[in-house]
Formats: sequence, C-alpha cells, structure tokens
Amino acid sequence: MIAAALPPGEEGLAITAGVRSRKIIDNVATIVLWIMASSIIVMLAAFIAYMVYLGAGAISLSFLFGVPKETTAGGGIGPEIYNSFYILFLTLMFTVPIALSAGVYLQEYARPGLFRNIVQFSAESLATIPSIVMGLFGLLVFVYLFKWKFTALGGALTLTLLNLPALMRVTQEALASIPDTLREASMGLGGTKWQTINRVVLPSAIGRLTTGVVLIAGRIFGETAALIFTAGLSVPFNNPYDLNPMRPAETLAVHLWYTHSESIVPDVDRIGNGSALVLLVMVLLFNLVARFAGSRLTRHFTGRNS
Amino acid sequence: MIALEARRSRRTERFALSMLRLAAGSVIFAMAALLFYLLFEGTKTFYVDKFPVWEFLFSPTFSVDDNHPGAAVFIVGTLSVTIFAIVIGGPFGIAVGIFLSEIAPHRMTQILKPAIEVMVGIPSVVYGWLGLTLLVPLIRTHTSSPSGFGLAAAGIVLAIMILPTVITLSEDAFRSLPPAIKEGSLALGATRWQTITRVLLPSASSGLAVALILGIARAIGETLAIQMVIGNATQFASGLFAPTAALTTEIVTDMPGATEGSLLEHALFSMALLLLLIAMVLIVCVRFALRKRA
Amino acid sequence: MKRNAALAALLLGFSVVATSTASFADTSISIAGSTALLPLVKDAAGAYQQAHSDVKISVSGGGSGTGINQVAAKAIDIGDSDITAPTHPELKDNRVAVIGFAIIINPSVTVKNLTKKQLQDIFTAKVTNWNQVGGSDQKIVVINRPRSSGTRAVFTKTIMSGEAVSESGLTEDATGTVVSVVKQTPGAISYAAFSGTHGQGVNEVSIDGVAPTDDNIISGKYPVWSYEHMFTYGPATGEISRFIAFIEGNAELVRKDGFILIRDMKVSETDR
Repeated sequence: MIAAALPPGEEGLAITAGVRSRKIIDNVATIVLWIMASSIIVMLAAFIAYMVYLGAGAISLSFLFGVPKETTAGGGIGPEIYNSFYILFLTLMFTVPIALSAGVYLQEYARPGLFRNIVQFSAESLATIPSIVMGLFGLLVFVYLFKWKFTALGGALTLTLLNLPALMRVTQEALASIPDTLREASMGLGGTKWQTINRVVLPSAIGRLTTGVVLIAGRIFGETAALIFTAGLSVPFNNPYDLNPMRPAETLAVHLWYTHSESIVPDVDRIGNGSALVLLVMVLLFNLVARFAGSRLTRHFTGRNS
Repeated sequence: MIALEARRSRRTERFALSMLRLAAGSVIFAMAALLFYLLFEGTKTFYVDKFPVWEFLFSPTFSVDDNHPGAAVFIVGTLSVTIFAIVIGGPFGIAVGIFLSEIAPHRMTQILKPAIEVMVGIPSVVYGWLGLTLLVPLIRTHTSSPSGFGLAAAGIVLAIMILPTVITLSEDAFRSLPPAIKEGSLALGATRWQTITRVLLPSASSGLAVALILGIARAIGETLAIQMVIGNATQFASGLFAPTAALTTEIVTDMPGATEGSLLEHALFSMALLLLLIAMVLIVCVRFALRKRA
Repeated sequence: MKRNAALAALLLGFSVVATSTASFADTSISIAGSTALLPLVKDAAGAYQQAHSDVKISVSGGGSGTGINQVAAKAIDIGDSDITAPTHPELKDNRVAVIGFAIIINPSVTVKNLTKKQLQDIFTAKVTNWNQVGGSDQKIVVINRPRSSGTRAVFTKTIMSGEAVSESGLTEDATGTVVSVVKQTPGAISYAAFSGTHGQGVNEVSIDGVAPTDDNIISGKYPVWSYEHMFTYGPATGEISRFIAFIEGNAELVRKDGFILIRDMKVSETDR
C-alpha cells in the first residue's frame, strides 16, 4: 500500500516502511497488553483498599469476639469466625485422608484401565458441579434423609465432597513432581512400594502438598452456597463456642450473605463491611501461610528449595 | 527374621493398597450417589407432576400457582449472564495470559501471579459484597437503571471472577507450545505481535478453548455473587441493565421456602439437574478439546 | 513418628466429640421463618435465656415458607409464619401476636395515599410511572418478596384480591432487605411489616385514606394485617410451649417491637 505511493526503484524504502508499520503495531499491542495486565493489579489493590476503608471502622475486639445481635446494633462475629475454623477443621479431617489416598492410588498404583478412567471421570465431574447443587444434595441427604437437621457435620461432609477433586489433583501433581530416581533408589535398597511411597515419596512432596492443602483451606473458609442449606444460618445462643458437631453452625462467609440478605439491625452495613474485610484478611493470610509453609517444609524434608 | 519382616511388609502392602482403592472407590460412590439422587428428585417434575420436559425447557411462563413452571426465563438468564461474562472476561483473560507467557519481565510476573492467586482465593460472597457496595450504586447513578441491580452488574462481577481461571489456563496453553515455532517465526522476521497473532494463537487454540470452556463452567455454576446483584426478577432482561434471574439464583432464592414434595421443590431440583447435565457436557467438551491437541 | 502423630490426632478427635456430649444435656430450641416476626422472637429469646440459663435458643429468618417447610420436615422446633398452613394439618398453630403491613415507598416519591385499585395496577405492572397516580414523572420500581413469603401472601390476599403480583419487579429475600433497598432506590415501592418499617426512613402510604397505624388495625379499618403464627409439629410441649407462652403473654415486648396483642383486637379473621 505504501509501496504503491512511491516512485519505482524505491521498493527498499517500502519494505522499511512496511517494517515500521509492523513495529508500530507491535509496540502498540505491547503497550495495550501492559495496560491490561497492570489494570488487574490496580483493580485488586483498589478492591482491597476500598474494603479496608469501609471495614476498618468496624474492627474492634468486641466485633471480633462478640456475639451477633439480630435486632440491635453492636453485634459481633466471634461465633461465626469460630464456626468457620471449626467447619474447616472438620472438613479437612475427612478430605485429607480420602483425597490423599485416592490421589496416591491414581498416581502411583493404578494401571490404565476402566477403574482408573471412572475414578478420574468421577473426580472431574465432582469438580465441575456448582456448589449450590452440592448444597442441595447435602440438604437431601443430611438434613432430610438422615434427619440430622442443620449441623456442622453435615456442612463439613458436603464440603468434603466439594473439595475432594481439588485435593486429589494437588496430590497427583505433587507426586508427579518427584523424580522417579528417588523411587528407584528406595526400591533398590529393598523397600516395598508402599514403604517407598510412605517414607520417601510423600515426605519429599510434603511442601507442595501443604501449599495445596492450605490454599484449599482458604477456599473452604470462604464457602457459602454449600453451607446455607446444610449447616444453617444460626448460632446456638447460650453456648456459641460449642464443640458439638451436631448443631447449626453459621460461618463468617454465610453470615456475610445473611447480613446482606436478611438482617434488620441498624448497623448492617458496618457488620457487612467488617465481615467482608475479615474474610479478605483471612484469605490473604492463608495465601501467605501456604507459600511460606510450603517452601519451609520442602527445604526441611528434601534440602532443596522447591 | 527376614522372612517374617517380608511377610509383614507384604501384608502392610496389601492393606495399604486396599485402603487406597477404597478411597478411590468412594469418589466414584459419591459421584454416583449425587447423580442418582438428583436424577431421582429432579425428574419428579416430569413423571409425578406430569409437566412436559419440552415446556420446562422452553415455556417463558414460570408460575407455580398455575402449575406451570417453565424454566426458560432462568435458562436464558444463566445464558445471558454467562455470555456477558465470557465476552468481557474471555478476551481480557487470554490477553493477560499472552502477556504473562510472552512479554512480562520476571519482576512483573512476581507481582502479577500472586495477585491472580489472591483473586482466586477471594470468596464469592466478598465479590458479591463488592458488587453490592461498589458496582450497583455506580450503575444506579450513571445509567437509566433505577435500582442498579441487573444483568450488567451480575455480568461484570462474573467477568472479574472468571478472569483468574482464564488467565492461568491461557498462560499454560502458551507455555506448553514448543519454542521452535516461536523461534522460527521470529527468525523469519516477524515482529513479536505478528508471531503471537499468526503463529502462537492458532497453535494454542485447543488450550485456549479449554480455558474458555472452564471459564464458562465457572460462570454457569456461580450462585451467591450474582444473586446479590442481579435483582432476582422472574423476567427476561429487557435491557442490558434490567433485573433478571438465573438458574442458580432462583434455586437459592426459592428453595428455603419450598415445601417438600411440592411442584416448586420439584421444579427447583429439575433446575439443579439441568445444571449438573450442563456441567457434564462441558467436561466432555474439555476432553474433546484436549484430545484434539494431542 | 508419623504413626504417633496420627494416633494423637485420633485421640484429640475422640476427646473433642466426648467433651461435646456435655452440651447434649441442655434443652435446645431451634426457630426459623418469618422475618416480620423475627425481631420479636429474637428479643424474647434473649430475655428468656437470661432467665433460664439451661435453655439454648437459636433463631433465624428465611421467610414464612421456610419456617413452615422446616418445621414440617422436623428440621427445626418452631416455624414462624405470617400465614396459616392449611396444607399441613400435622402442624399445630400457636398464634402469638398481630402484625400490620405497610406499603412503603422511597422518600423521593411525593404520593401520600393510594387507592386499592391503584395499588393493584402498580403491582400488576399496568401502571409504570408515578405521574399516573398523582406523583412526579418517575419510573415505578416494584420490589417483591419471594413466592414463599408470608408478607407477600398477606399482601396478595388483602390488596390484590387474589390476582397474582407481576413478576417484573426485583425480588428481595427479607423484610430488612426490602426496607433498605426501598430506601436506596428512587421510585421504589414495596410491602413490609410494621416491625421492620416504623422509623426506618421510608414513607408509609395510606390505603384508601386509611393510615397504617395500630389503632386502624385494631378497629379493622386498615386491611393489611395478619396473625403471627408459631407452628410446632404436633402440640407444643415442655420448654417449647413455655417459650411460646412467654412471647404471647409479654405485652411489653410485643408492643415495643411494633406488634399488637391479640386480645386488643376488635376484629378477627379465621383465615389469617
């Protein structure tokens, strides 16, 4: 196009001009991509700053450890935070053994075949199920069928189903990252397959496993849809820090949704903003701990840095 | 002595293996139980209440009093909010994926990747809360929408939520390309942008398809964040900023009050079944796309 | 080393469950349902537990439909509702108070009175602008409650004469949310219980010239009211029946939270 406007014999100039327009496009595109990538960082920073601005005023000892009030101002979120951790603990108690075992089986033992395929497919399907559908399933089974009513245990079991696939994938990836030479060395020294896995491979993978578990823990902490119908929307009034798993257990995340959706206290905005901020801070903490603990453990068990 | 040790460890071996197999089997059991229960409860609308499947999927009237729970409103709602999200989040996510794998210097990656991880970790209620306190008032003051709740609010929130998924998977897709094709293109004199658009993008197309499909899956399954901002009006969205409802939001709005055994409860479970089926179809699509790559 | 850690974890788990059996001995009452009745039940629960420290009461909302639903499924002990439950003969109806419902509008709307016909037209979307009913040029934003809401059922029965409310409005889950959305949205109109609306910064509209006050309800002039029901599965017994009696007899609490004592009513209805 530019070449057509030039007198004959000047094609060399045309090629240079063509190159220049391509370079311009390349530079423009690069700038655009830089802007897009930076906007994500800016957006995230803005969200965090906004939530700190909104919620910081609500944070106080009485907020973090006090009980919620449903009709007057001044309520706190102490029991909800407790319930979040309690349900997290319960869920991990079930999820970790099952997911770890299934992951080890799939990665180390299973031979390609029908059983292996079905397990993989089941795990993938479980992973794509929307959490609300899982919550409905929990409602059907634990609340209606087992007649447990709303319980922390029902919520934990539902969350186990929800997070099994993720933890299985973490396990498989962690195991895959361990070089076979390690396994061969162990077997060469006379170890059986299980001994190899138990005493050599798993410890080597513990860094990545821990990172994965803590990240998933962060996700469990923020889960809502699956818990609304299984663990309920209330906290036992007289003994909110109960250890009994068979009672309703409203978590912080559920409380945030409930506050938006139902609350009639005059300071609903304050409680909502404070709860959102606490949730955000917890997620950031989980992220940090995941990285830190992961790299520390890897160095401890393997002497390497990753 | 050694023989005793060997026998014990063989027994441990067998025990360990059977325990592991049991765990793997329980995954299958869980999935099967879910499928069975949802099929059982979700088809009651059709064989107990005798409401035709065709009408459920395509009738625009959702009225429980008239025994006519046509779910088309919610299906269209889910589709529109998902399309909105993927139209915004898809290209943006792929672009940032390109950036991460081809352009970003190490320092930038060190900031950007943790930022994306944090975004993944933020609970959906918090995104919903942000949408409620930040986005809805913005829409209310700057557009014709009187309340701010509606399709646009839900679509934007959803787009932000699926960004991390699309970005990470796109980046993976580009990183897994053989370096030779990139080097070859550059050696022939193409600029980096030309290489990206004419060589890398087409080669990574199946990986990018996976990224988009999984982004769509995430969008379709999201419940609470959209429920807080979509307005929950049982009607087709009359405009980009009009309130509407989706399958997931309808379930969470009406399920608590639905009597066991009522038509409404059956209809809601049919919607849940529909969501499950859509999810499984998406998995098959992903497998298909992955096979094409190989 | 790992085996010891696993055993320790197991023991810890056992002790957790074991110590928790201590709380099995307390009586616990779980209540859910109407968000209109919620303030009264919450306040009563607080007062009751202060007097009886061995009783644990947990209260939440969810709407009248949820309350009836869950008590019928025996998932909770008491289901609060603004409406009767004729499809559930196994539930025992315990009426505890009377509540009025107001038509609330955003303060930007200058209309002070609406006729029943105008209300019907607004909520069936036949009238869409405030200037059609005496206000300024402003789009009417209808806000509804979910289908299972008792408040919505009362509204439909007393104002809509059985005609269905149009679905083209926003839907909000609970009394509290409706009030706060109406407060924020210019041109909004909805219906909610006195217990959630009085003094909350929204305007209450007179219907056919009758103001939404307790006196007008007691005399029967204002039509939008209902009994508050606390349903139990079968007749209420033990601590549950004592708690219900406590609420019904607590005149001070009932009036403070915006309700009316049943014995003060000069009119009565059988189907509310």
